[in-house]
Amino acid sequence: MSDRLRLDQAAKFLLGVWMSGIVVAMFLIVPQYVGLGDAGRIIILHVPTAWITTVAFAVSAVYSIRYLWKRRPADDAGAVAAAEAGFLFCALATVSGMWFANIVWGTPWNWDPRETTILILLLIYAAYFALRSALDDVERRRRLAAVYNLFAAVTMPFLLFVAPRMADSTLHPNCAFIQGSHCDGIWLELNGTRIGQLGDVVLALQGVEQRGDLAVAQVEVRMPGLREVALLEPSFELASGKPADRPEFPGQQFLLAVEGVDLANGRVLLNMEAPGSGLLSNSRTFWTFMAANIGFLGLFIWLYRLRADVLLLQERLARREAAYELPA
Amino acid sequence: MDPHISPQSAIETSSTAMPSEAPLLMAAWAVFRKDVRSELRTRYALNAILLFAVSTVVAMSMGMGPLTVSRNADLPIIQAALLWVAILFAAFTGLARAFVQEEEARTAAALRLSARPTAVFLGKLLFNLALLLLLVAVTTTLFIIMLRVQAGNPGLLAALLLAGSLGLVAATTLIAAIIARASVKGALFAVLSFPLLAPLLVVAIQGSANAIAGRGWESGVGSLQVLAGYTIALFTASLFLFNSVWEP
Amino acid sequence: MNEPLRLIVNDVAIEYGARRVLAGVSFELCAGETLVVAGANGSGKSSLLRVICGLQRPARGTVVIRTNGTVLRPSEALHLLGWVAPDLYLYRELTALENLAFFAAVRGIRCTRADLEALLDRVGLGGRGDDLLAAYSSGMTQRLRYAYALLHRPRILALDEPTVTFDARGVALVEQVIARQRDHGITIIATNDPREERFGDYILRLAQ
Repeated sequence: MSDRLRLDQAAKFLLGVWMSGIVVAMFLIVPQYVGLGDAGRIIILHVPTAWITTVAFAVSAVYSIRYLWKRRPADDAGAVAAAEAGFLFCALATVSGMWFANIVWGTPWNWDPRETTILILLLIYAAYFALRSALDDVERRRRLAAVYNLFAAVTMPFLLFVAPRMADSTLHPNCAFIQGSHCDGIWLELNGTRIGQLGDVVLALQGVEQRGDLAVAQVEVRMPGLREVALLEPSFELASGKPADRPEFPGQQFLLAVEGVDLANGRVLLNMEAPGSGLLSNSRTFWTFMAANIGFLGLFIWLYRLRADVLLLQERLARREAAYELPA
Repeated sequence: MDPHISPQSAIETSSTAMPSEAPLLMAAWAVFRKDVRSELRTRYALNAILLFAVSTVVAMSMGMGPLTVSRNADLPIIQAALLWVAILFAAFTGLARAFVQEEEARTAAALRLSARPTAVFLGKLLFNLALLLLLVAVTTTLFIIMLRVQAGNPGLLAALLLAGSLGLVAATTLIAAIIARASVKGALFAVLSFPLLAPLLVVAIQGSANAIAGRGWESGVGSLQVLAGYTIALFTASLFLFNSVWEP
Repeated sequence: MNEPLRLIVNDVAIEYGARRVLAGVSFELCAGETLVVAGANGSGKSSLLRVICGLQRPARGTVVIRTNGTVLRPSEALHLLGWVAPDLYLYRELTALENLAFFAAVRGIRCTRADLEALLDRVGLGGRGDDLLAAYSSGMTQRLRYAYALLHRPRILALDEPTVTFDARGVALVEQVIARQRDHGITIIATNDPREERFGDYILRLAQ
C-alpha cells in the first residue's frame, strides 16, 4: 500500500517536472517560424490537447460499455471523469485553435473539417452533462448516460466522413489523415478543366507562361466576402521544381502556390498553403511536440483518475451520511 | 394443459394455458395502432408539430418574400437549409411525445409488464415515422408554395426527404425514450439530439440543394447512401441499447 | 409432468437514493400458496411487489421464478405475472375494451370482443366496456385493473391493497379471485388492513 503510494507520488512529481520542461521548451527550444511568429509555438499546446479530446471520448465510451455490462459504479465514475477531463481539453483545443486561426489564417472560424468535428464533440460532451444533471435516480442516471455516450459514439464515424465534405480542402497541416480532402491540390488546364475549388475559394486558370527560369500562372480568384474578382500570379521555379512566389489570398493569410507545371499542355497544379504547414520537419520542434503529447496524455490520465476517485469517495460519504441519518 | 384450471370463465377457455411470447412484429404493430388511436383522440403531438411547422414556414416567407433565382446564385442551398431547419425544429417539438406520454400518464408500468421491450421500441419508432412523414409532407408543400420554390428534380427531393426522415427517426426515438425518464424533458430532447443529427443534416441539406437546383439523380446518390448507412447504424445501435433504457 | 411453480425471493433490499426501505427479505412460495405482506405505510410493501414483478430494481438480492426445473428469463416471466396496484394506470383516452384488446394483442393472446366482454362481466364492468377510462370512477378503475391483471391468466398474482376503493361487491370479487388463484398459482397480497390477513397462508410483517 505504502509502496503504491510512493510510486504515485513519484509519478506525480515526474509529471510536474515533465510539463514544466515542455512549457520552457515551447518558448526556448522551438524556433520561431517565418509567417507565424510566436503563434507557431501553439502547436505544442494545441495539437496534443486536440487529440487527447478524442482519446478521452474513446476512454469514456469504453467505460460506458463496461458499465452497461457489469453495472459497477466505478465504471460510471471512470466514464464521467474521462468525459469531464475530455471536455476541459476540448475547450482548450477549441479556444487555442480559434486564437491561432485568427492570428495566422485571418479568420477564427472557417468550417475546416477539424473545426467542425471538435465543435460537435464539444456539444456532445455538453449534452452528456446536461442529461446527467436531469436524472435524479442514481442508478438510472448512470445507465442512461452510458447509453447516450455509446449512441453518440455510433454517430462519430459519420461525422468524420461528412465533415471534410463540407469544405473541399483543409488549412490544417497533415491533411492526409483527413479522409476526403484534396491535400494534393488540383490540376487545371488551359484547354480543359479551367475552374476548380480549394476550400471555399473558386479558382479559374487564365494563363501560364515562362519568364526566365520561372513559370508564372494567372489565376482568377473568387471567394465569399470578396466583392471583386482578384487576379493572382503565383510562380514556379522550373530548375528546382519548387514553388517560388506564393501570393496571399486577398484579405486572408493563406497562400496560393503552384506545385507543378506542364508548360507543353498548359497544365498547372494549384494548391493552397497555410502558414504552419511543415512545422514538424524541424527536429527540435518535432521532439518537443512528441514530449508534449506524452506529457498531456499523462496529465489526462492523472486528471481523470483523480476525478474518478473523488466521485466514488463522494458517493461513499453520501451513503455513510444516510446510514447514520445525518442531516445533509 | 394445467389440470387444475376450471374452464368456467370465458377468458380462461379462450386463451392457451401457457401463453407463448407474442410475435414481435404483431406486438409492435399493436403498440403502433394504440399510439395512433391515442394521438387521434388527444392530438397533443399532432397539433404541436403542425402548428409549429406552419408558423415557421409562414415566418420565413413573411421575412423574406419569395427568393428569386436572378438575385442569388446560392438560392438552392439557402432554400434547402431553411427547409431542413423548419423540419428539424418541428420534429423536436413532437417526436418525444410517444415516450413522454407513457411516463407522464404513468402507463409505462402496465406496458412494461405486458410487452417485450423491442416491440415497444419498434411500435414507437413506427409511430414517430408516421408522424414525421406527415410533418415533412405538410412542411414541404407549404414551403414550396409560400416561398415559390421551383424544385428542379422533385423525385430526388422526395427521396432525400424520405431518407432523411428515416435517419431522423432512427436517431431520435432512442433519445425520446431516454429523456422521457428525466425531470426536464422539453429542452433536453433538442440538446441531446442535435449533435447526433449534425452529419445527417449536412448531407441532407447538400443533397436537397442539388435536387432543388435540378441536378440529376447521380448528384444525390452519395447523399442517399450516407443517409441509408446512418439510418442502419443508428437503428441497430438503438435495438441493442433500448433494453437498457426501458428497464425500470 | 409439471414441477410446481416456485417463486424464490432471495435477500432483496430496496433503497430510495441513500435511504434503505427494506433490508434483506427472503422467502419461497409454491403454487397454491398465498402470502400476505403486512406493514405500515412506507414499510416497503408496494416496492417489494414491484420488485417481484420486475417493475423496480432492488438495491440487492434476486427474484427467481422456476417452473419445470428451469429458471425463467425476464421476458418469459412477463407472461406469468399479474399485478394490481393503486399505481397501475391504463390508457385514459381509450375505452376499457380498447385497453384490454391492446394488452391482449401485445401479449399475443387471441381473443374476440365477446371474450373481453365476458372478462369485464366477471369483474363487474358488464356493459361499460365502450366508455372511456377518463369517465370511470375510482372503484370502476380498480375493477378494470383486475381485468388487466387476469387477462393472460397469470400464475403469480401480486395484489397491492386489493380492496382499496371497493364496495361490498368488490370485496366479494377479490375473495373470488384469490380463491380461484389458489387452484393454480401463487398469490401475494400487500395490505395494511388487518381484515385481509385472513387470505394468507403465511404473513410477512415488515417493520417501519
